[in-house]
Amino acid sequence: MHKHMKAAAAALAFAATMAPSLARAAGEVIGVSWSNFQEERWKRDEAAIKAAIAVAGGKYISADAQGSNEKQRADIDALITKGAKVLIVLAQDSQAILPAVASARAAGVPVLAYDRLIEDPNVLYLTFDNKEVGRMQARAVLALKPKGNYVFIKGSPSDPNADFLHSGQLEALKPAIDSGAIKIVGEQYTENWSPEIAQRNMEQLLTKNKNKVDAVVASNDGTAGGAVAALRAQNLAGIPVSGQDADIAALNRIARGEQTITVWKDSRDLGSTAGKFAMLMAAKTKPAAIPGATPWSGGAKKLTISSVFLKPTPVTAENLKVVIDSGWATKAQVCAGVAAAKAPAACK
Amino acid sequence: MRTQLESAGFDARFSALVIALIAIWAALYFATDGVFLSPRNLYNLSIQTCVTALTACGMVFLIVARQIDLSVGSVMAFSGMLLAWAQVRWLGIDGPMGWVVSMFVGIGGGLLMGLFQGWWVAWRGVPAFVVTLAGYLMFRGAAFLVSDGQTLAPLADGFQRLGGGPGGAIGPMWSWVLGAAGCAALIFQTVTARRSRAAYGAKQHPIWADGLRLALVCAALLAFVAVVCAYPDPSSEDDAGKGIAIPVLVLLVVALLLDVLARRTRFGRHVWALGGNPEAALLSGLPTKRLLLKLFMLSGALAAVAAIITTARLGSGTHSIGQMAELYAIAATVIGGTSLAGGTGSIAGAIVGALLIQSLDNGMVLLDVPSAQRQIFIGLILIAAVWFDGLYTKGAKR
Amino acid sequence: MSGAPLVEVVNVSKRFGGLQAVDDVSCDLHEGEVVGLLGHNGAGKSTLIKLLSGVYPIDSGEIRVRGVAQHLKTPMDSRAAGIETIHQSLALAENLDAPSNLFLGRELRTRFGLLDTDRMEHEARQVIQRLNPNFKDFKKPVGAMSGGQRQTVAIARALHFNARILIMDEPCAALGPAETRMVLDTILRLKSEGIGIFLISHDMPDVFEVCDRATVMKNGAVVDTVTVAEVTPEDVLGMIILGQKPKRA
Repeated sequence: MHKHMKAAAAALAFAATMAPSLARAAGEVIGVSWSNFQEERWKRDEAAIKAAIAVAGGKYISADAQGSNEKQRADIDALITKGAKVLIVLAQDSQAILPAVASARAAGVPVLAYDRLIEDPNVLYLTFDNKEVGRMQARAVLALKPKGNYVFIKGSPSDPNADFLHSGQLEALKPAIDSGAIKIVGEQYTENWSPEIAQRNMEQLLTKNKNKVDAVVASNDGTAGGAVAALRAQNLAGIPVSGQDADIAALNRIARGEQTITVWKDSRDLGSTAGKFAMLMAAKTKPAAIPGATPWSGGAKKLTISSVFLKPTPVTAENLKVVIDSGWATKAQVCAGVAAAKAPAACK
Repeated sequence: MRTQLESAGFDARFSALVIALIAIWAALYFATDGVFLSPRNLYNLSIQTCVTALTACGMVFLIVARQIDLSVGSVMAFSGMLLAWAQVRWLGIDGPMGWVVSMFVGIGGGLLMGLFQGWWVAWRGVPAFVVTLAGYLMFRGAAFLVSDGQTLAPLADGFQRLGGGPGGAIGPMWSWVLGAAGCAALIFQTVTARRSRAAYGAKQHPIWADGLRLALVCAALLAFVAVVCAYPDPSSEDDAGKGIAIPVLVLLVVALLLDVLARRTRFGRHVWALGGNPEAALLSGLPTKRLLLKLFMLSGALAAVAAIITTARLGSGTHSIGQMAELYAIAATVIGGTSLAGGTGSIAGAIVGALLIQSLDNGMVLLDVPSAQRQIFIGLILIAAVWFDGLYTKGAKR
Repeated sequence: MSGAPLVEVVNVSKRFGGLQAVDDVSCDLHEGEVVGLLGHNGAGKSTLIKLLSGVYPIDSGEIRVRGVAQHLKTPMDSRAAGIETIHQSLALAENLDAPSNLFLGRELRTRFGLLDTDRMEHEARQVIQRLNPNFKDFKKPVGAMSGGQRQTVAIARALHFNARILIMDEPCAALGPAETRMVLDTILRLKSEGIGIFLISHDMPDVFEVCDRATVMKNGAVVDTVTVAEVTPEDVLGMIILGQKPKRA
C-alpha cells in the first residue's frame, strides 16, 4: 500500500514539473484587445494576425470592447487572466487605455500598440505612418486642384488618428494655404466616422458656400462616400475627393472618377507584422530590440516610444491594378458599372 | 384666453410648438444671413427630417401605449443591410424588379423584428425597455454580419431616386397638382365634418375658427410647394424647379395614414385607451396583447422605411446607419407633445418636433458650430421642451 | 319580482394559487330585483363580480342566465349574455372623453370603417342626459370630471347597450350626498323597469333603501341570503362580521 502511494506521489510530482514546459511547447498565448470589431476593416487585420501567430506556433485569443473604454479595461484584465503572454491592443481611446496598460506591465505582460497610439514609453507602437497618409491624401488632391476652395471632412473627434491625419493634410497644403492659393471654406468632424453624418455635413457646407467648393479632403473612405453622395445630389461629383482604407466601394468610386485617391494600408501586412512581433516579445525581446524599431516622440506628451512605421500605398485611377493583383479586391468588384469609354487602365 | 382658443378647436400645445418652430427659423434666418431659409436649404432640411419624423411616428403609438422602442436605429441598420444585400448580392441592380423586391425584403425584415420584440413584451411580459434594449444590441450585430462589415455598393439607379438626390423629386407640375389636391381635400374634409355635426345638431366650432385653421394649413402646404419648386434642379439644364422630394412625399403619405389611424379608427382609439388606463382596456375586453404586437411591428416597419430612404440617399448599404436614431425619435415625439406617462400624443406634433430638432442641427452646421456643441445644445432644448410641457399640463389640470 | 331567475350562480368556486377566493357560492337574481352583495374586505365579493363579468373564468360550478348555462371567458362574452358591469374603479380611460368611454370596445363606424364620432356623441348625449340633464361638456376628458359625472358615464355605458342585468361595485363610495341620491334614484328607476341589479355596498342605509334581498359573504363562502324587509341592520352586521345567521322569527 505504502509503495503504491509513494509511486503515485512521485508520478504526480513529475507531471507537475513537466507541466510548464508542456504548456510552452503548446505555444505562447497572444491576447488581442479590439476597440470595436464592427468597423469594416478589422476582419482582415484579424485574419493576418491569426495566421502569423499560428505559423510561429502560438495561440490567439481576443476580446471586443465594442467602443467602450470600460469594457476594454475589463477585456485586458480578462485576457491576462486567461494566460496571455503578450497583448496586442487597438486602443479605443489613447488616454483612457493607460491604466490598463500599466496594470498589464505590472503583471509582466508586454503591450504592442496596434495602429492607434498609446503614449506609454514601454509599449511597441506599430502603425502605418498616419501623418504620411494625411500628406498623401492632401498631395493627390492638390495636384488636381492647386487653387480653390477646400473642405475638410475629418474623422471621429474621439479618435487620435483623425487628428494625425488632419495634421498631415495641413502640412502638405501649408505652402498653398499660406500663399492664398487655397482657401479653407469649411471643416467638420464626423462622429464615429459615420457616412450618414458625413453626407449631412457635406450637404450643409455646400449650401453655405453656394456650391463654390473645389475639393474635398475626406479622411477615410466611409466619410468620402457620404461626401460624394452629397456632391452627386448637387451634380458636383467628379471634383477631387480623398479617402483611406481601400474599401471596395471606394475603389469602385475611383474607377468611376468620383474619388481621386484612397490610401491603402494593407492591413494584412500590419496584422502579420504584429503577429510576428508579438511572438518575438513573448520570447522576451524588448521593444527597442525589435527589428526596424526606432525611437519616436511625435505624440502629444512627447514621450519617446519604440515605433515601427509601415509605408502606406496611395491608390489612384492609374495604379488600381496593384490592389487587384494583390488579391485585395477583384476586378469585377472594382470595375462594377464603369462605362467602357471612361474606364481606367485596370478595368479595360 | 387659452380656454377660448381651445373651445374654438385650436390645440394650444400644438400651436405653441409651431410658434416655437417659427421663432427658431427666424433666429436662424438672421444668424445665417438668409441662407437657412433659402429654397435649397429648406429642400435639404425636408429630406434630413424624414428619418427622424418617420421613426417618431412609430414611437408616438408606442409611447402612448406606455411602451418604448430603443432598437429603432439598429432595426434601421439591419433592414438597410438586408435590402442592400438583396440588391447587390442576390437580385442584381439592373432593371426595376431587383430593387422593388429588395424594399419588400427590408420592410419584411423590419416587421419580423417588430414581431419578435412585440411577442416578448405582450406574451411573455418582459418590459419593453429590456426587450428593445436587447434588440438594440442584437440587430446592430446582425447588420454587421450581413456582409461582414463591408459596405455594399453600388445600388440600383432607380432605387437611389428614393433618397431625394438626382432625379429624386417629382418636379414642379406634380408638386403643384398635389398641393392643390391637398388643399381641396382639406376643404372637403372640413365641410363634410361640419355638415355631419349639423345633422346631429351638435355643437360646432365657430366658422371663423374652422376657416382660419383651414387657411393656415393650406397656406403652409402651398408655401412649402412654392419653396421646393423655387429650388433649381442641379441636374437639369433649364433650371426647372425640383419640387417635392420623393422621400418627403413618402413621409407625408405615411404621416397622413398614421394620423387617420390614430384619431379616426378603432385601432387608434384602443391604443389610446390602453395607454390611458390599461386596466380599463382589459375590463372592456380590448385585445391588448394583439394591440401591443401590432404596435411593435408598426415601429419596425417604419424603421425599415427610414432605412430605405437613408440607404437610397447614401447610395450604399452601410451597417452604421441609424446610430442614435432612437434617441432623436423619442426626443421628437416628446417635444411634439407625447407624454411619457402614456395616453396623450399626436402624429402632427411628432413631425413638427422632428422638424424642430433637425432645423437646429441643420442651422448650427451652417453656422460652423462643432458637433460637440451641437449635441449639448440639442440636449438642453429637449430638457426645456419637456419641462415646458410639464408646466403646461399642470396648468391644464387646474 | 317573480318567475324564473334572471341570473343563477350555482356552486361556483375560484381559486388563486393558495387562496380559495370564491368557495362554493350560490345566489340568484330576478327581474326587477336588487340583490345586495355584502361582506367585509376580502370576503370574495369583487372576485365573484369579476367571474360574472368575464374577467376570470370559473373553476367549477355554473352561471346561468335565464336558465341557460354560460361560458364567460372574456368581458365580451359577459356583455353578450346581457350582463353589464360597473367596476369599482369605473374602468374608464381618463384621457378619453365621455362618448369614447361609453363605446369603448364597441365603437360605431361609418361605412368607410372610420370612427363615427358624431353619431357616438349624439347617442351618448341621449343616454347621459336622461340620467343627468346637466351634463353638458361631451368633449372633456373623463379625467377632468367630478366623481359623480364619471359615475354617470359608467352607468350610461351599462344602460346604453340594453343590459337586463347590471352589476354595480360600490357606486356611491366616492360620491357626495347629492350625487349619491342621484345614483340611488337611478337604481330604483332601473329596478322599476325590470332590470336586475347586483349591488355591492358597505353603506347600510343605502342597502336597506334599495335592496330587496341581500347575500352576505365571508371568507369566500355565502353566510346566508336574506330578505331585507325581514332583518335589521344589526342582524346583517352580525352576518358580515361574525358569520352568524340571523335568528328567524
